[in-house]
Amino acid sequence: MGATDTAATTRRRGFPVTGLQAGVVMAIGAVAAGSFFEVRPPDAYGICMACHGRDLISWVVNDLTGWRLTVAPASLVFPLLTVVGVVIGGWIAAVMSGEFRFRKPSKPLKNFFHGALVMNFGLLAAGCSTRLALRLGAGDPLGAIGFGAMVVGIVLATFWIRKAAQR
Amino acid sequence: MTVAAVASLVVGIVIGFVGQRSRMCFVGGIRDWILVRDTFLLKGLVAFVLVSWVAFPMAALAGGEALGGFGTPILSAVLLTAVGGFGVGWVSILANGCPFRQHVLAAQGTGGSMIYLVGFFSGAVAFHTWVSPLVLELI
Repeated sequence: MGATDTAATTRRRGFPVTGLQAGVVMAIGAVAAGSFFEVRPPDAYGICMACHGRDLISWVVNDLTGWRLTVAPASLVFPLLTVVGVVIGGWIAAVMSGEFRFRKPSKPLKNFFHGALVMNFGLLAAGCSTRLALRLGAGDPLGAIGFGAMVVGIVLATFWIRKAAQR
Repeated sequence: MTVAAVASLVVGIVIGFVGQRSRMCFVGGIRDWILVRDTFLLKGLVAFVLVSWVAFPMAALAGGEALGGFGTPILSAVLLTAVGGFGVGWVSILANGCPFRQHVLAAQGTGGSMIYLVGFFSGAVAFHTWVSPLVLELI
């Protein structure tokens, strides 16, 4: 383990997983879900927090109210439960490692609008950051464009927050 | 299609678990590298792209469904994707984590991320009710 990794992992009890290992596991899970377990169409749909969350909420709203909000073909009969799974998995890991602790939100309004904005931009690009990376891996030209634009956004925003912090 | 629901639940639990243990974030890697030259999360992002790039054709060889192939994108789709991608990157940095990371943070008790998720799911309904018709009208 490199010197930069130790600072992040030595504090963590239980089963330390490096970012590299997490990336490999997530990629295999995403491809397997799409290729072998019908999490499609569209292509490269194995993991997407924005689209799968949209599918779940739209499906429930449609079922309860009779509206016709958009649902991806993969979620027509029954919605994909990726977001539920991630929350359950994250909760299990947090409880097992003793890292579960409720922290009161300091800026709830800001958090709310950040969430709403990311969802809207994500649906506009047809993918959250995870699926844009997955589409890049799948060789989708649109996905590559979205991923490139995302990297530009990340870089500019990072310089922005660094400048704001220095003021 | 219920196969897909069960599979996505299982995949979700697995990636939620490794995501909590590794603090994996798809925007945090680039941010950390710019700010402090830390490559812990960046390696995860690069590994995710490379492994999926190799795994898609391998899954097709192993009997899985192959990718359908992607056509040449039209200009309006390119513009919308670029705007959306830029927005995802920018706002995720301000929100201090990508959507995946926010789900994991909410699962480990961070109240701010729980509120983020409320906004996230409200945003989905808002998108299909107001934003999407508006965008379609503009283009």
